[in-house]
Order: sequence, then C-alpha cells, then structure tokens
Amino acid sequence: MNDFLLWACVVGPALLAEALLARYEVLAYGAGWRAPATELPEGVPYARGAAPDSPPGAYLVYLDGIGKRRVRDSRDGGQLVEALIAGAPELRVLGQIQPYSPLADPLADRPVWAWLRRRIGLLLFLHNVMQTFVAADHRYRPLYNRAVGSQIATQLRLAGYHPDSGMPVVLLSYSGGAQVATGAVDELYTLLRCPLLLITLGGFHNGANDLTHAEHLHQLTSANDRIEQIATWIFPQRRRLFRRSGWNRAVRAGKITVHRLDPATHFGPQSYISPTAKLPDGRSHLDHTADTVIAIIRAHHSATVTQGDPLP
Amino acid sequence: MSPAVVVLLVLSGLSEAAGRILPLVARRPGMPRTLVAALLLPAGLVEGVVFALWPLTAWALAELVLSSPSPGTGLVWTPSVVAPLVLAAVLAFPLLGPLLHLLLFVGVGTGLVGPLAAASGLHWWSAAGCVAVAGAGLALAVETVRHLVVKISATGAQEAIA
Repeated sequence: MNDFLLWACVVGPALLAEALLARYEVLAYGAGWRAPATELPEGVPYARGAAPDSPPGAYLVYLDGIGKRRVRDSRDGGQLVEALIAGAPELRVLGQIQPYSPLADPLADRPVWAWLRRRIGLLLFLHNVMQTFVAADHRYRPLYNRAVGSQIATQLRLAGYHPDSGMPVVLLSYSGGAQVATGAVDELYTLLRCPLLLITLGGFHNGANDLTHAEHLHQLTSANDRIEQIATWIFPQRRRLFRRSGWNRAVRAGKITVHRLDPATHFGPQSYISPTAKLPDGRSHLDHTADTVIAIIRAHHSATVTQGDPLP
Repeated sequence: MSPAVVVLLVLSGLSEAAGRILPLVARRPGMPRTLVAALLLPAGLVEGVVFALWPLTAWALAELVLSSPSPGTGLVWTPSVVAPLVLAAVLAFPLLGPLLHLLLFVGVGTGLVGPLAAASGLHWWSAAGCVAVAGAGLALAVETVRHLVVKISATGAQEAIA
C-alpha cells in the first residue's frame, strides 16, 4: 500500500472519526453522564518529593505533553519529574494529572485504547492532539477548563494541599499541556485561592485563556522548537493584533518572561528533556531544563533570591 | 422530490442539528440524554426543511433577476448534490469545525449553481449569486429564530428560578 492510499483509506477516516468523537468526554462530563475519577491505582502516591507532614516549598503539578496516557509519567519515563524531585527536595510534585481527559480516565486503562495501543499506537497521540484542540475551541473551552481545573484541585487536596494556605502552586506544562495549564488557572484560583506560577516548556496553546489570577508565566522555549512556533502562527490570539486576548493582556501586564533553552528541540534526541544531548558546559538538556525550572521556582518564591539574578 | 433525496435531507438536518446541539450540551451541564434527543429530532426536521428550501429559494431569486420568465421547470436537489450535507455535523468538529462547515456548504452550493444556470438561462456568476443569497438568507433566518428560541428559553428559565 503506497503512502497516498494509506492516508486516504486508513489515516484520513481515522482522523475524521477521532475528531468527531473527541468531544464525547467533555460532553459526558458536562452533562453529568460520568463522574471524573479521583482515586489512583494501587501503589501510586498522590504526590512525591517533600513529605506531606512538613510544609513543602511549593506544590508542583506537571502537565505532560501529548504522550501522556497513563497515571504514571509516560512521555519520558518520568525523567523530568525525577530530575525535579532530585534537584529540589523541597517541592511536592504531582505527575498523575490527565491533561487530555476531562474525566481523569487514563487512555492506557481503557480496553479499546489498550487494544489500539498495541496495534496503532499513533492513534493515542492523535487522540491527545484532538483533546488539545477541544480544549482550545471557544465552544468547549470553558467546560474543559473547569473539568481539568477541578481535577488538579482534587489531586492537590488529596496530596495534602490546604485551600487558603497561601502555599504556592506551580503548573509546569509541556507542549499541549500548556493549553490545559493556562485554562485551569481560573478554576484552581476559585477552588483553592492559591498563588499560581505557570511554567510552559515548548508550550502549545492558543493564548485565549485569562491569566489574571496567575502571578507569572515563564515561557521556556527555543529557536529550534517548531511546535511552539506553529502554535504562535495558527492561533490568532497569540499575535499582537488581538490585544484583548488573555495572552496579550498578560504580556502587557508584564506577566510573561521568556527563557531560551537553545539549542533544544521540541522532541527527539535533542529535545528539552533529552538525557543524552549535551550542552557545551557538559550538562544534558534534561539537567538544563530541570535546573532552569528549579531556579525559576526558587527565584519566584524565595525572599533570599533577588529579582534579576541570571538563571542557570 | 425522490424518496432518496427526502431521506438524505432528513439525515442532513439531523446532522446539522447534532453539530449545533453538541456544543450547547457542553455549555449546559446536567442536560439529560432524553432532552438532548428530544431537542435533536425537531431541530433536525426544521434544518432538513430549510435545506429543502434552498434550491427553491435560489430558483425564486433567479426568476426575480430574469426580465422574462425562465424556460426551466425549477431547481431541485439530486441525491449526488445533497449527499455531502450529511456531513454537516462537522460543525461541532473541534477548532476547525466552523471553517469545515463553511467549506462544505460552499461546495454543495457550487453543485447547485450549474443546474440553476442551465435551467434558468442565467450566467454562471449570476446563478452563483442567487444560490449564495438564498443560502445566506435562509441561514440568517434560521439563526435569528435560533437566537430568539435561546433568548426566550433563557428568560423562561430565569422566571422559573425567580
């Protein structure tokens, strides 16, 4: 079968079917046909890192990219989360959030998707891409944001977070996770009234979400990140012309800080989270990314670090 | 109108209604499935009737444009021209839905232009104008009714709460 026939007969119809079915989950959530899952599988903790009985420096919620399909971190085998926990033991880290499931139902645990994963693994990525588009669509976005925002709030509570405690919450998002992270801000602020810091890593988002209740957003990016560049190109709200978009209002309010992670790419052997790609100083891209994230969090929340200090 | 065209128009109407109602369900939490189905059926039939009126309206406009009575007997749907409208639910497609929906209707409208030009004797562009104005007019009328229904139902709900 040549490439054209493959696209015309297999991938094309699959793409169409997936796009038309993609809204089902957010509709089921909205209509109350199914309740979102809250319990984690046996042996999976609600958070790792700093102990729950001593106040941590901050709660860090990691929203993975489109490779996320199970409760445990999946895109990189959990290496970024591990590096963050190792580098910043004061953080209490949650990696179980399902950014692409309003019902908090991991794809890998669904029988049909488990069957598909063994045969057409690409469809799982496609499903999560479509969920990102659902989250970006103005008709579904409010509900999607509420669903994932309340999912994050629930997991934070289960991990020991107390509303109104003033404990900082950091939303670290990779790729499409940025769409969900920016969308979850309002709901999280409403439910927990927490100081919110956002860090996007190669963030793919449409810029429509309101960032008023976020203290700051740090944009970790690279000149070689084509995926993030596509997002700034296809979503009009990311352009200066749309002055009233959530993103542009945040830019004017001085809430966005850009950090360059050149020469990293969005994915592949040279990606932001590659443990093998090395910088001239000998550090891996993964270490560089983890160090930058930790430095941002410490600079933002520690009184001992003065503003304007260079990040590693 | 052949039975095949009637069936396709009903399916197209239901498809269009589904494409419009699904985002509505997303904005109104707690909507029971029975209510969704109850909304879908009448809305689908109304949309189907509106689709059926499109060629008739375009023909009426063509007759207004022509100074002398047109030689043709009218413009009607054929199964091949109306069939793509069954995909009208593409409107609910995430992000690209409205654009794909517009492209679908432009494509189907283009399929009506040739037969209208041949039957009425109008130039192709004049016929295209008639089809476009008829389509836009019907869409505007339906959209106005839709907004009124939403407004009235919202007012009724608020009064019930009060």
